[in-house]
Amino acid sequence: MLLLSPILVLAVGGLIVMLIDAFQEQEGGLAMPTALLHFVAAAAALALWQRGVPSDAGSLVHGWLAIDKTTLFLQATIALGGAFASLLAGGYLAEHKLDRGEYYPLIAFSTAGAGLLVAANDMLMVFVALETMSLGVYAMTGFRRTSARSAEAALKYFLLGSFAAALLLMGAALLYTVTGHTDFPGIAAALQAPSPASGAAADDANAAVLAAQFAIKLKISIFAMLLVLVAMAFKVGAVPFHMWTPDAYEGAPTSTTAYMSVVVKAAAFGALLRVFLTVFGDAANASISGGWPAVLSVLAVLTMSVGNLVALTQTSVKRMLAYSSVAHAGYLLLGVVAAPHATAGIAAKSSVLFYLLGYTVSNAGAMGALILAGRRGAETVSYDDLAGYARRHPAAGFALTLFLLSLTGVPPTVGFFGKFYIIRATLDAGYTNLAIIALINSAVSAYYYLGVLVKMYMREPAPGATRAAPMKSFYVVFSLIVAGVLVVWMGLMPERWLSLAAEASGARPAAAAPAEGANNGGAPTPL
Amino acid sequence: MTLQLGHYLALSMVLFTIGSVGFLVRRNALISLMSIELMLNAVNLTLVAANRWQPAMTEGGSGLVGGTPAVAVGSIAPHGQVFAFFVIAVAAAEAAVGLAIVLSFYRLRKTVRTDAADMLRG
Repeated sequence: MLLLSPILVLAVGGLIVMLIDAFQEQEGGLAMPTALLHFVAAAAALALWQRGVPSDAGSLVHGWLAIDKTTLFLQATIALGGAFASLLAGGYLAEHKLDRGEYYPLIAFSTAGAGLLVAANDMLMVFVALETMSLGVYAMTGFRRTSARSAEAALKYFLLGSFAAALLLMGAALLYTVTGHTDFPGIAAALQAPSPASGAAADDANAAVLAAQFAIKLKISIFAMLLVLVAMAFKVGAVPFHMWTPDAYEGAPTSTTAYMSVVVKAAAFGALLRVFLTVFGDAANASISGGWPAVLSVLAVLTMSVGNLVALTQTSVKRMLAYSSVAHAGYLLLGVVAAPHATAGIAAKSSVLFYLLGYTVSNAGAMGALILAGRRGAETVSYDDLAGYARRHPAAGFALTLFLLSLTGVPPTVGFFGKFYIIRATLDAGYTNLAIIALINSAVSAYYYLGVLVKMYMREPAPGATRAAPMKSFYVVFSLIVAGVLVVWMGLMPERWLSLAAEASGARPAAAAPAEGANNGGAPTPL
Repeated sequence: MTLQLGHYLALSMVLFTIGSVGFLVRRNALISLMSIELMLNAVNLTLVAANRWQPAMTEGGSGLVGGTPAVAVGSIAPHGQVFAFFVIAVAAAEAAVGLAIVLSFYRLRKTVRTDAADMLRG
């Protein structure tokens, strides 16, 4: 049971927060308990990490979940992101008269779903966890009930999210049809092995029939893989399946935007890595010439380029951050493309994990700084709103500057090393073209991030325009300080954090990769 | 002629295609929701049929054409059937949240047309 504690803490804690909300006299005050809950979940994941995970940990839940260091690393990242989102909500919702208690259990339940999603080792589990996470986030997106923009964002996010879930399910159902398994190791084994009876088949005619059938099964499985890939691309917001991202991010309350951009993204990438490395990790499916890495590399290039180019044209900072999050999904996809590589694979996987952690603190911080800049009735959204902000309010302006520099990838912030490790892994895997495209994109992205800084430090607001001033919120300031410290700390001492990510990817013993596959080999017992 | 697994798969593919095309071309949020339900039902049909024919598919039987369903339902692990129940239950939860969102949109905009959702763009 201890191994499940990061998830259980959130699920049970969410129920308790809901009860507190039902019985307390006045609204509010739930942000700190919810944030504490997330910190406890993160601490539980770290404690389990310290204690060491037994290799048969998954058998505790009959193989439905894979509990390893990758899982724990991502669960800690997700819980940290959820804690930031709770704190930001405590400031944002109160300031904008939205502080109704049901928001906080939704955060806790969604994070529990996200924690399950990164652990899921079975298609059924992926689906249930994905929906547990998404349903809460849909509601959080439409939380501002009097705003047509919020309702529109929720509608678009919900419709495309459910469509993606249906595609994922069809992929899972077809995989079940051809393999008879829903668990990842079982599907992988059934897809790799030539037909089980082929060795025993005495007559050639029978063997030929079996071979033909296996060919049909492989064709169906490739179609199923495409369906799963498209569904995952929807969830991580990869171009051309990113249409919902800017709208949902812009229309949602900013604390929800922070949540979506860090927790949902990290969970979706965790699931993407596990599904494609476990289920489709065999040589044929995972080859760069004809397998899923080929498709993903095209998506990665499109995602980076479209995300950055469209971000250039934005006038709203919030929408710019939405497109920037699309672009960051593109960099992350590069790491996923390199992840099945024989020698550079583990470094690529650990660079993705490191990037997710760094992106969580940077982007949660950027969203928090944007929240801080918007008082009631004067929510800061456009570049012009921020004119002269940093000169009038140096500390608040510095916070936004720091996080935007980290998103740009300027040393000594964590954003620089995140990009550095991903690009290095891409180069090590031999994908020089992809690395060059990433570098060009990174340079382009500096233009729009620095545009905010220019506005803040060098421009004056138009006469008569409302002047942005920071709101007063302990929660927001606290989360900005925590995020700021982490951004700088991880930027100054990246090796320490990278070695954790490498350990999470199974790098420590040289022969870790095949051994891990063997550990996961236990098929779930029948229901 | 007896029905084979291939027939069920073909039907569910047809349903799935109708659902996804409906989702992509119709501009009414409620029709979109119904299209998604249709896609989920296609998934359920696939799962249940595949479960019944599982020995034929996976144990070197004759696969999509020919082959026989499992003789007794209890003789095979019911993973597919159980998966279908999960899909049904989660789809109900999804519909509840979805209808609430559509309702909230309708209250503010007096329409459920998705092409009226045009405030956020760029």
